[in-house]
Amino acid sequence: MSLSKHLELTGVSIEFPTPKGPFKALDNVNLKIEKGEFVSLIGHSGCGKSTVLNIVAGLHKATTGGVVLEGKEVDEPGPERAVVFQNHSLLPWLSAYENVELAVKQVFKGQKSKAEMKAWIEHNLELVHMTHAMHKRPDEISGGMKQRVGIARALAMEPQVLLMDEPFGALDALTRAHLQDSLMEIQKDLNNTVIMITHDVDEAVLLSDRIVMMTNGPAATVGEILKVELPRPRDRIALADDPQYNHYRHQVLSFLYEKQRKVEDIGQHRSVKKSEEEAVELPKKRAHG
Amino acid sequence: MKTTLNRRSLCKKVVLATAVGLATLSASTAALAEIGYPEKEELKFGFIKLTDMAPLAIAYEKHYFEDEGLYVTLEAQANWKVLLDRVIDGQLDGAHMLAGQPLGATIGFGTKADIITAFSMDLNGNGITVSNDIWEQMKPNIPVGADGKPVHPIKADALKPVVDKYKAEGKPFNMGMVFPVSTHNYELRYWLAAGGIHPGYYAPEKGDISGQLQADALLSVTPPPQMPATMEAGTIYGYCVGEPWNQQAVFKGIGVPVITDYEIWKDNPEKVFGVSKEWADKYPNTHIRVVKAMIRAAKWLDENNNANRPEAVEILSRPTYVGADAEVIANSMTGTFEYEKGDKREVPDFNVFFRYNATYPYYSDAIWYLTQMRRWGQIAEQKPDSWYMDIAKKVYRPDIYALAAKELIADGVMDAADFPDFDSEDGFKAPQTQFIDGITYDGKKPNEYLEKFNIGLKGADKI
Amino acid sequence: MSSIRMTLAGVSSIAGVKSNDTMSSWLKRSARALGLPLLGLLVFLLIWQAGAKQIHTSLGEFPGPSQVYQQTLSLIADHNAERARETDFYERQEQRNAERIAKDPSYEPKIREYTGKPTFFDQIGTSLVTVLAGFFIAGLIAIPLGICIGLNGALYSALNPIIQLFKPVSPLAWLPLVTMVVSAVYVTPDPLFAKSFLTSLFTVSLCCLWPTLINTAVGVSAVSPDLQNVSKVLRLSWGTHVVKIVLPSSVPMIFTGLRLSLGIAWMVLIAAEMLAQNPGLGKFVWDEFQNGSSDSLGRIMVAVLVIGLIGFLLDRIMLLLQRAFSWDKNAITR
Repeated sequence: MSLSKHLELTGVSIEFPTPKGPFKALDNVNLKIEKGEFVSLIGHSGCGKSTVLNIVAGLHKATTGGVVLEGKEVDEPGPERAVVFQNHSLLPWLSAYENVELAVKQVFKGQKSKAEMKAWIEHNLELVHMTHAMHKRPDEISGGMKQRVGIARALAMEPQVLLMDEPFGALDALTRAHLQDSLMEIQKDLNNTVIMITHDVDEAVLLSDRIVMMTNGPAATVGEILKVELPRPRDRIALADDPQYNHYRHQVLSFLYEKQRKVEDIGQHRSVKKSEEEAVELPKKRAHG
Repeated sequence: MKTTLNRRSLCKKVVLATAVGLATLSASTAALAEIGYPEKEELKFGFIKLTDMAPLAIAYEKHYFEDEGLYVTLEAQANWKVLLDRVIDGQLDGAHMLAGQPLGATIGFGTKADIITAFSMDLNGNGITVSNDIWEQMKPNIPVGADGKPVHPIKADALKPVVDKYKAEGKPFNMGMVFPVSTHNYELRYWLAAGGIHPGYYAPEKGDISGQLQADALLSVTPPPQMPATMEAGTIYGYCVGEPWNQQAVFKGIGVPVITDYEIWKDNPEKVFGVSKEWADKYPNTHIRVVKAMIRAAKWLDENNNANRPEAVEILSRPTYVGADAEVIANSMTGTFEYEKGDKREVPDFNVFFRYNATYPYYSDAIWYLTQMRRWGQIAEQKPDSWYMDIAKKVYRPDIYALAAKELIADGVMDAADFPDFDSEDGFKAPQTQFIDGITYDGKKPNEYLEKFNIGLKGADKI
Repeated sequence: MSSIRMTLAGVSSIAGVKSNDTMSSWLKRSARALGLPLLGLLVFLLIWQAGAKQIHTSLGEFPGPSQVYQQTLSLIADHNAERARETDFYERQEQRNAERIAKDPSYEPKIREYTGKPTFFDQIGTSLVTVLAGFFIAGLIAIPLGICIGLNGALYSALNPIIQLFKPVSPLAWLPLVTMVVSAVYVTPDPLFAKSFLTSLFTVSLCCLWPTLINTAVGVSAVSPDLQNVSKVLRLSWGTHVVKIVLPSSVPMIFTGLRLSLGIAWMVLIAAEMLAQNPGLGKFVWDEFQNGSSDSLGRIMVAVLVIGLIGFLLDRIMLLLQRAFSWDKNAITR
């Protein structure tokens, strides 16, 4: 431990109490992430991806092991580890601008003047192309726009790590592609460290520097780590025919569908985080056997 | 100018005399001093929706209260208990009360409180009504006159066979009256007992305030305005109540009035105007002025041989006062009374407000109510005659009445002839004989009076 | 293709030319929105008029619409007559004051309130003031208490049995207790409020605060876990969390509770006024019932309709407020 990495998960295990006794969701997860690195977590439902993210966010506490960011142990949530939630989690009574403002006021209290704050909020909304609708409330804008605002809010905190929990999971394919492109642009400009959870193999390969593939739960852990060495900027159309790209894709798919085969219940696919824990308890059939 | 000076100096003298504590001025000298302005000008009086609240309505409508510098609000009350409680706790400055209420409160039957009265509101005005069904059963027992109509007064003897039949069948014979210490209760009991029907005893010492011990007819409390509806519902077979609730039964066709209280006891005292003693002590001028206004109202009601009664009927029929249809109220207020439908008879003194010194609070009236309380067990033990006298003097205040009357005479509004001779009046009416059972009542001898009844407690009797 | 059609439709409607198609659909919609309720009302009036004739009470026929209309006019006439009497009253009073000053120069004249009886319309006013005051007090207690309970699970568990116990208590049961307590506690020589007003007020408050209390508590405790996570990530202080996240998030539930409360308050008030003989519409109904005149039933029917109408209007007003202040538009139609 002489030279610590930017973000380090060491021997992270977590148990949840259930009526049937403690349930071990994660077992000995180890991961080292460089500054500015884009890491995807992929795995079947119930493999504890979200739990990993929540532990990094500080929303869950590891039973054993821990997370160290920039040499400092993570023991509570904080804006330096901003989270983009799966279902946007905007405050429905505030406009897009006000939602971002809430975060900015909290993080930069005493550091930025009023005018600076305003400029900063508008800048972040501009990054996600939301300037035109920034005074609209969440119920007046589309799902994709809401997610953009969610991203703007997270970015506006100037986080050291951006944690994204299936940020595009609930969006249609077209919107999703748009947002992925936006995210790549922003990432190029800001060079944030990003941990993103995804179900989508293409998304993982397209966006990531590394893909962390997780084994099935219970006691899920890191199965394989795939380094994606595609040159940036990446273009989705060009990559579609790229053998290297398809190779990476194949590797992820084979991990998911051969090494860690699991039959998912339809409808669990877009499940919210907490149901991942429940999903584990579903009877495991081998339909493809 | 000169007279003003005189009066001022006299006032000064009075003040001085009081201050020094030489309260030796005779009543007549004190009366010369003009009554001061009212201590309390805004007053709220309660009443129950009955025609005998008329003096209050008239004093208000004819501005007699305002003439005394009083700004009075009149408010109908739900029932006699609520009314009394509100006078006791001060929400009401005074109220139209059952004669028995100030007495009952003072001796502690029911809520204990010192209530006094200086004004008697009326004579007579009540009736006993039975349902159509009971009337049909009574009718064969009632003699028919030459005109083919039942001979009045109808005694309870005619009802007795009916009550006996119910008793033999094991069915309770229920009747309504308005309050345990109400005139109606005592009148109904008097009438029943005179006909040999036992109306039941109270035993407050033993916690029995139902008044149904040893009863042939079971009497229970129903607020006046609800009497007709309660009888219509079959809960009671008859009731004793003030107007217009007997005439209402005739109009609705649900019952037949059989007798008026005028026939049970001619010119019996009825409602009084009661205030709490505390209030009266605190606002003596106000009290006198209230009595003044109400004496004027009572006089107006009886003036010129009831000439103002039609106007009074119109006023009383307003929803804010009695609120019943004018023709129902007129039936009793204008000197007639309708018994069986169509059997309308002259009863000129059915409602007396002023003549026969109706407004004067006689001690003998108070004592009659006390004898009836004793008779039916509300007063559990024998009391000496002197006790009856003491209670009567404590509750009935002809002294205040006299001050008000003299003031009215001095103002030139009334004649001395309108009132009893205050110098000789001792507060006792001459022995009265006109009761339905022919028994004579002498207010000075209550214990002797009680001995005369067949049914009822007397001497040292106890329940 | 579709966008072109939309543009064309837009142009035509701007030009004020409604196509036959849109016109007929508009007519259909208006017929549904207005016609059906009107038809329902008409049928109701007919059935009422016909049915009323069949019911004979000892106070005459049950009042039909025409009698109700007559009594409405008579109540208005009564009201105007009373106002005229009021004017006379004040004139007389001024005259008397002047006379007294002439006699007694030290007298400071004062104008006393009119002592006449409240009319039907005065009673409506009294009831409205009472219900709003009672509702306001209920809100003042229920919302803060509901927030405390909602935020603190232990407090919720501790108070829940008490709330569940008192919630279903009828106003008629509270009334005697409230009356006695008000009489005992509110003793001042110069009362600002009438005791009867306070009795009605507290009875209303006691009965109507429960829906607001429970809904507020539920609203506060049921703040979505996602929003709570947002708050955690932002490291909002407890105070900021409550003000910025919890309260706005529970506003729809609070309003739903308030609306229920106001409905209950209005019903409770009428019952309380009837029972306690406290001024207001309930007393009007009771008085008319007691009067037993041939007009009484008609007047009671007028009061019944007015009570219904006011209840309806109060609910609509709450709905408008809810629309104005609540972010959750879905909650409103509930």
